[in-house]
Amino acid sequence: MPASAVRRFVFAFGAAFALLYVIGRLRGLALFTVYPAQGIVLLGTHRSRDFADPVLDFLAPEMYWYGWTASAAVGALVIGLGAALLPNRLSGFWAWCVWIIPPMAMIACVYLTIPWFRL
Amino acid sequence: MATTLLILHGLVAIALLGAITHQALATCAPSNAGPHSFFGRFRAVPAERFANAIIVLYLTSALFGAIVYLYFKIDIQPTLERDRHWHAMGFLDLKEDFVGVGLGILPAYWFCWRRPADSQHNHIRTTLTILLAFIVWWSFIVGHVMNDIRGFGS
Repeated sequence: MPASAVRRFVFAFGAAFALLYVIGRLRGLALFTVYPAQGIVLLGTHRSRDFADPVLDFLAPEMYWYGWTASAAVGALVIGLGAALLPNRLSGFWAWCVWIIPPMAMIACVYLTIPWFRL
Repeated sequence: MATTLLILHGLVAIALLGAITHQALATCAPSNAGPHSFFGRFRAVPAERFANAIIVLYLTSALFGAIVYLYFKIDIQPTLERDRHWHAMGFLDLKEDFVGVGLGILPAYWFCWRRPADSQHNHIRTTLTILLAFIVWWSFIVGHVMNDIRGFGS
């Protein structure tokens, strides 16, 4: 693969990963949900409270971080490969994206975490 | 098992912290720094040689952290919620988000450091390095605080 295509791939991957992670976090789009207490993994986003009384939620805590990361990685892989196939004149655009989007995504994550600090 | 993994996670994190701090300072040090100044000596070290080690350490640390997180969710989080450590939970949430974003920028970071003489990517390389350094420092401090809330082995 030529260096210019690798450059487009890695820059697009980095920008898309950050953006998709925030979208996944915001919309609850996890590729899978992990239930560590039960040792099971379910495809898609699941909430314990949808199946059991919310009072019993602590018995089956769910984990989404792995699923959000996997969702972002798969989406970013597709976008990265797409960018690698696009003409080189868009290279500057992807470079700009990877420069701007990850810091913006981190700021968005701070915003999404604010509810913890209002409790 | 969890304690062993946590110690390994911490040791890898310390190595990562040292490497990324060195590289970030070497990247950001003013170019007019004298050869005998602190920054001057930092710049004298080839920072690009740290890149691969930083990527391996970051991935290793994230992997150990991801495994330890399973134990945390079952054994520690209910206690923290019972004791109303909401701020600590918020900081930990941010840690996992930042680490996730950091995982995504690793390929671009690797590419920028693969060609350190390429001035076309200087600003991207600097931004990504500073971002990774911030993520590593944040994660280290938050992880340390979370570990110390109840005390080791309590």
